[in-house]
Amino acid sequence: MLVSVLNGFAIGFLLFILAVGLSLVFGMMDVLNLAHGALFLGGAYLGAALAGSWGGFLAALAVAAVAGLAAGALLSLMTEPLRNRSHLDQALLTLGVAFVAAEALIIVFGDDPLSVPAPPGLDGSVTVLGATYPTYRLVLIGVGAVLAIVVHVVVERTRIGALVRATVADREMVAALGVDNRLVKVVVFGVGSLLATTAGVLGGPIYGARPGLDATVLILALVVVVIGGLGSVRGALLGALIIGQVDTLGRLLLPELASFVLFAALALVLVLRPQGILGGAGARAR
Amino acid sequence: MADQPILTRRRLLSLFGAAATLPVLSACGSSVGGGDTGSGGSGGGGGGTVKVGLVVPQSGVYAALGTDLQRGWELWLQQNGGKFGDYTVETVIADEGEGPPTGVPAVQKVLQSDGVDVVVGLVNSATALGVKDTLTEAKKLLIVTNAGAEDVTRAQRTPYIWRSSFTNGQIAAAMGTHLASSGFKDGVYLIAPDYAAGKEVIAGFTSAFEAGGGTVLASATTPFGTTTDYQPFLTGIQQAGAKATFCFYSGAEAIAFVKQYQQFGLSSTIPLYGSGFLTEGSVLKQQADAALGVQTTLHYSDQIDNPANKAFVEAYKGAYGGESPSCFSVQSYDAANVLNRALASATALDGDALSTALGGIGTVDDSPRGPWEFENQTPKQNIYLRKVENVEGVLVNAIVQDLGPQSQPAA
Repeated sequence: MLVSVLNGFAIGFLLFILAVGLSLVFGMMDVLNLAHGALFLGGAYLGAALAGSWGGFLAALAVAAVAGLAAGALLSLMTEPLRNRSHLDQALLTLGVAFVAAEALIIVFGDDPLSVPAPPGLDGSVTVLGATYPTYRLVLIGVGAVLAIVVHVVVERTRIGALVRATVADREMVAALGVDNRLVKVVVFGVGSLLATTAGVLGGPIYGARPGLDATVLILALVVVVIGGLGSVRGALLGALIIGQVDTLGRLLLPELASFVLFAALALVLVLRPQGILGGAGARAR
Repeated sequence: MADQPILTRRRLLSLFGAAATLPVLSACGSSVGGGDTGSGGSGGGGGGTVKVGLVVPQSGVYAALGTDLQRGWELWLQQNGGKFGDYTVETVIADEGEGPPTGVPAVQKVLQSDGVDVVVGLVNSATALGVKDTLTEAKKLLIVTNAGAEDVTRAQRTPYIWRSSFTNGQIAAAMGTHLASSGFKDGVYLIAPDYAAGKEVIAGFTSAFEAGGGTVLASATTPFGTTTDYQPFLTGIQQAGAKATFCFYSGAEAIAFVKQYQQFGLSSTIPLYGSGFLTEGSVLKQQADAALGVQTTLHYSDQIDNPANKAFVEAYKGAYGGESPSCFSVQSYDAANVLNRALASATALDGDALSTALGGIGTVDDSPRGPWEFENQTPKQNIYLRKVENVEGVLVNAIVQDLGPQSQPAA
């Protein structure tokens, strides 16, 4: 029981790293990026190709970060012409990109499911709360917590964060102040995508890397974002931790309802609070 | 495909050269085998061409199985001069994809636009059940080379559909009988994905296990295709006080389940048993040491010690860059084998004649999996108890015991 709660936190923090990028891009830049799952899978495959040693794991993280930034910038430029069109148009564009990316990953890495080893020293198990638990997942909880604080501080407490929030509030006014708001969008998109590829490398030892994983994690990320509320770092964290618990504790307590428990939670939130738990008073819930 | 050469002058000349030899070759053919009659249908036992539609997954989650199936088929033909007796075999390959929306049209395509005489392949059980009417209308034969649903050769049985692979329950039943007689009469926990094959495996295991005097402790089903973290279910197994676990997973789920079973400390206290697909083929390498000691039942292992298998494994490794064959390779290899035997006595290439001929081939005595025979159009075959062991740095499914011949379980 307690080990399930602990595991809920591990999965929750992983989901946070995955979903916060999607939440930032959608909530702040108003672009629904359905290629987010493909970015995660790209990171997972990088991990599968390079991980095995600490050097390889850190190299995978570094390459994933750079590739994520570049991919995000590219996606930002691609969606720019659709800025004044509906979400559906953007979703279709990014969905197309996601399909192309997924197929490209199959061509490069093959279609066999791959497992990703945790770095040496973290690939074992330790005894926690009287149960055996994988060391890597414990470390992931710490890494996720640190990342959550960093992202929160950057968005809420720094000048750059203020600029981003200002762009969201009034794009034209920020432009009138002499800031190129396309650049702001490129940066937010890049960082959001960086978080997705990083989550892929970090999540590799738990989820592995396989065709189809992109769709699975995209749905999880969308559920987290909807539950937590769009564009809110705290919302993404709360949503991710709730889904982490629902997905582990819920499945342990109600195994026969395992397929439904996640979406039942989603439906409950949508009925009671459509803008998400921490979503701003219907602000961006158009 | 990137190194596809451009048409150079030399290549063009060699093509002309090859074309020039064709009339000579066909002349030889006519003097020996009675002439190349082009597309089949009119052969009637005296030479000609038999056109086979090989429908296997070339994309999607089963693509790796498709590769093994295609290799097994091609290896048999390569070893036998591309011929079934006097018939020259012409293979048309089509992509089955993941399920009936792609698989059924692929079968229709090879039947209707390619005009094949026989269809071989199909990984997905829903696809195998979904093409029944198409085959019955066309009166053509299908040899299923994987799809393990019981209904294919039980409730939905038709003379036009035969199977060279296994049934889900057949493999699980052998394990059920074995566990009941080896000290696990109580305390066995069952876990499988919540889709048709998972349910058939659980049912096949349970009825054999109970017939052997065992009682199932508890069972759980996991959401199919979307479960990536098995921790809640693994904790459930521990809390239930299980003495052994029997499971059915394949592909990515098999990798995740076996690895997490070890990571969460179950493998040292609760031995893991499974249907053979848990550790078959490419997944074993990905599971790595987490799979050590896992015991499974299956109708094949590349470790089987018989002359036919030794020769098969050696030829397969030689042909495909040192890769070991899987049960999937054998299933299509044997499909070619039984078609060859059937054509020796078939009076025509239509489904009725071939079905009658297949019914009379008796025991297939030169299969890598050991001797087997058709019973109700699906193999009655020996099932092997296998254990994952490290042999000189390579993980293999070592044979522990031959559990003897096993029929498809009765409904």
